[in-house]
Amino acid sequence: MSSSLISRRTCLRGISAALGLPLLDTMGWAEPVKSRQAYKPPVRLGFMYMPHGVIMDEFWPAAPDSFLKNPPAALESLRPMLSQCLLMKGISGVPIKPFGSAPHALELSTWLTATLPNAAKRSEIHIAISADQIFANYYGALTALPSLELATMPQTHKENQEGLNEGYYSHCSFRSPTQAMPAEINPRNVLNRLFGKTDAGGSAAAADPLDRSMLDLVIGGARDLRRRLPHGDQQKLDEYLDSVRSVERRIAAIEQRQKDAALEKAGIAPARRAGSDTPPIEIKIPEGDKRSEYMQVMCDLTVLAFQSDTTRVSTYIGSTPNGVSYPELGFSDTHHGPTHHNNQPDKVRKVAAITKFNIDQFAYMVKKMDSLHEGDGTLLDNCIMMWGSGLEDGNKHTRENLPFILAGRGGGALKTGRFINQVKGNQGDLLTTLLTCAGVPLDRPIGIATRTIREMMA
Amino acid sequence: MIARRKEVNQIFQKDVTPFVTQYCVECHADRPKAGLNLRVAVKKPGDPAFTRKWLECIANVRAGDMPPEEADQPSEDERRRFLEALGQIKYLSARDPGPFVIRRLTKAEYGNTLRDFLGVEPGIARELPEEVSGAGYLNSLSPMQTEQYLGIANLALQKMPAAVQRRLLGPPQADVRSIAQKLARIAYRRPPTEDEVDVLVKVFDLGRASNLDRNAALRLMLKAVLISPQFLFITPSVEVPAGEKIAPLDDFQLASRLSYLLWSTLPDAELSGLADQGRLREPDMLKAQTLRLLADKRSRALFDGFGAQWLGLDRLASKTFDTEKFPQMTPAVRAAMYDEARLFFEGVVRDNLSLTTFISADYSFLNDTLAVFYGLEKASLGTSMRKVQLNNPNRGGILGMPGILAVTSFPTRTSAVKRGVWVLEQVLGEQVPPAPPNIPALEKQDAQKVGHLTLRQRTELHRTNAVCANCHRILDPIGFGLENFDAIGRWRDRDESGGAIDAAGELPGGGRFASPAELKGLIASRRDDLARNLAEKFLAYAIGRQLDGYDFIVVDQMLNTLAVEGYKMQTLILETVTSYPFLNRRVQD
Repeated sequence: MSSSLISRRTCLRGISAALGLPLLDTMGWAEPVKSRQAYKPPVRLGFMYMPHGVIMDEFWPAAPDSFLKNPPAALESLRPMLSQCLLMKGISGVPIKPFGSAPHALELSTWLTATLPNAAKRSEIHIAISADQIFANYYGALTALPSLELATMPQTHKENQEGLNEGYYSHCSFRSPTQAMPAEINPRNVLNRLFGKTDAGGSAAAADPLDRSMLDLVIGGARDLRRRLPHGDQQKLDEYLDSVRSVERRIAAIEQRQKDAALEKAGIAPARRAGSDTPPIEIKIPEGDKRSEYMQVMCDLTVLAFQSDTTRVSTYIGSTPNGVSYPELGFSDTHHGPTHHNNQPDKVRKVAAITKFNIDQFAYMVKKMDSLHEGDGTLLDNCIMMWGSGLEDGNKHTRENLPFILAGRGGGALKTGRFINQVKGNQGDLLTTLLTCAGVPLDRPIGIATRTIREMMA
Repeated sequence: MIARRKEVNQIFQKDVTPFVTQYCVECHADRPKAGLNLRVAVKKPGDPAFTRKWLECIANVRAGDMPPEEADQPSEDERRRFLEALGQIKYLSARDPGPFVIRRLTKAEYGNTLRDFLGVEPGIARELPEEVSGAGYLNSLSPMQTEQYLGIANLALQKMPAAVQRRLLGPPQADVRSIAQKLARIAYRRPPTEDEVDVLVKVFDLGRASNLDRNAALRLMLKAVLISPQFLFITPSVEVPAGEKIAPLDDFQLASRLSYLLWSTLPDAELSGLADQGRLREPDMLKAQTLRLLADKRSRALFDGFGAQWLGLDRLASKTFDTEKFPQMTPAVRAAMYDEARLFFEGVVRDNLSLTTFISADYSFLNDTLAVFYGLEKASLGTSMRKVQLNNPNRGGILGMPGILAVTSFPTRTSAVKRGVWVLEQVLGEQVPPAPPNIPALEKQDAQKVGHLTLRQRTELHRTNAVCANCHRILDPIGFGLENFDAIGRWRDRDESGGAIDAAGELPGGGRFASPAELKGLIASRRDDLARNLAEKFLAYAIGRQLDGYDFIVVDQMLNTLAVEGYKMQTLILETVTSYPFLNRRVQD
């Protein structure tokens, strides 16, 4: 077991202006400090995914009024957290006709887009920007990383369903309709990337101020190249420029953080930090290949990224529809097999165990967030964390009532501690409402959305 | 060509338009089912936008899935004439090299390129995200990947051997501008512009101004090269004049296209030199260079990139097998299975054998581990793979290879359907329409009622459903012809139920067989189908996109040459790299 202790508190804002440090105008960090009024922490948004649906009897609460006292079996590990959770039944997924034989290729890729791929260009990635990336477009410039994408398994599932691009199987996050965001599966790389640590191994770059200036020159050169290229090529180059700028920004953010840490050491307290805020959590990278430990370190990294305001939106593909097995649960079946259980008890039991295992990891994450003080409350108070699946019943591939759990009040926007039955809405409505609660003014609804779901708001 | 077009147009008006009007537009028109508006499509038969749609129409009408059962049915003659006419519509396409967008190096190409540029291990790129095939995906680039490119650049600079460093960054008195010029020429795979050299010199100056010594500043400059889009993407060297719609690839793009196709790495000195002299596009030169590249061991990349994908073996390493049923499927065994196919494929290329060898070969490449799967454990072959003559006619060729039989199976059992689809699509190049939605799979049959049946009998039961029968009539017999091979490619006479295997069947379009050996013989005799399929798949791989209307005319031309020259593998490759879509690009839509 190796461990890397993240150095001191990192979320320091506003102070640079007061102390005459260079303004990082592209980062939006230098908001002027207005008197000493209470600092309201930003809202963060996190998504965690499990494929293939749930055992419905074990997931859906029996009734709204007994939800808090007698939660369903799958949610047992969330029992102490139920007052901060919100369940809703009646949110339907995107109808996947005309891709009827591609239930698994589309469960993940429609999850945060609420949109079907373009049928005429199905062999390419051609879908829609996903909700997390819409959030990142709005708030991403305020943090070192615009967004964080994590996954447990490599995103390489190869199977042809309906002639769809194989990327649809294992990606939920789309930077643009044609650009799938690859997820990081190596926790060491995440640690390096978030905090510029070089001692944790992996290939992510350390922060070097000289690199930032060098990248500036490279970007200048790329702009010259761009002018010489036809339109289609220019778009490709724009994706490149976009990604290099974000690297620059991360390096700048780490420089800033180091300066702030030095100031703090010298006894100059940051203006916007509540005295009660918890110091950054410690990350231990497991040595073995135990699934629960691995998923928990990915959850810890999400918590740390939110706690330190390194990013405000994350996705974690806890598992993908590609034959993942769970040796820790004492059986070797891959996830997909038993989901076609036809009500055979043994298979039902296995699917229930896999579902509970995944929810347990989500519970681990939100409990940790709940234990961290921030502002007048906890980190979780200022987050909206969603766990969910892209199918309701894996046996029949239904998606009438998508199973999902919301945790956290989003800074007071959501009314939690409830199970709302018979909601009329779809996946697009849900995403639209979540983004609205997270403070993103949308100029159009997401995917198939037709309304915001007022019932879930405070 | 023009006369041909006129003739095809007439056939289309006679055999397709009335068919569509009578049998299709009720559903596929203004509120189009399956996103298919045939009322529009029949008006523009040669429009590349509808190429794929027409191919799907051919597949569905041929399989009898369309028009659906409850609708009016065309006569057999109408159906046949419709299919024949649609087979001709490619002749309506205008000469067009197809869309072209600059492309990022794949993970494998990037690793190999660093190897050949800086002398580092290609594994240095292993932390990059894995990639799946597909036009859209490979091109995109996330912030995280760019972080990793920067991290890998740092690592490569550390690991670069001293000799390479002296060669690239020396000699100590050399002018910085000329070093920048040299680095960019190799890494950008074309002569850099003055502006591009300026940027690199500025990076050097930046390093010096930040108190780096000369050598460290040169390394910073090299790092800038490695993170530049000109390195990560293959970019053109000359600007296409405004208003041009189609342009030939410039010499340097051509050198890169050829080198990345056959070697998955940057052009070597000889290829670059020919591009500098403007001689690479001379057809004889291009062919000679292609053969030179194929003879080099780096052409292994052709199998890793194309062959493995064609045969489905790129999935083998990560495919799930039931560990209790098939404990044999260890990483070592999977690697041996992969190498068997690789050595076989490389032999066909190197020795310029006929394409039918893929099916009808009577040899393979085995070691002790793999010999067990062939029942040849007594052969004592040792641990390294070697060529073995096979006396069993059921083996030999891709249809008898354990790796291929394994990737076309389920984790627990064989799948006649998967194998049938694989043979039709990957070997014979036919389009198989996808299964209709909401069809119960075999697993859902009542276990008590079907427990005593063989897989074949169970599948036949499933076929009593009329919706399923159309396709399964075509798919299943082929798959059952291979049912003597279990889910990891071992020979068996009985399946899991204990029932004897019945490998008899009939191919669509005729031809009866009673064993895998006879099935092999029948498929090998369909030389034109095999060749057309490989030509289409290889051309698509070489130009990095799906084929469109005009490409199918190109494939026809390739097939003519293949027939004249005896269906040789090198002919296929040479025809591809000298084809119109390989040598040209469409600049704008």
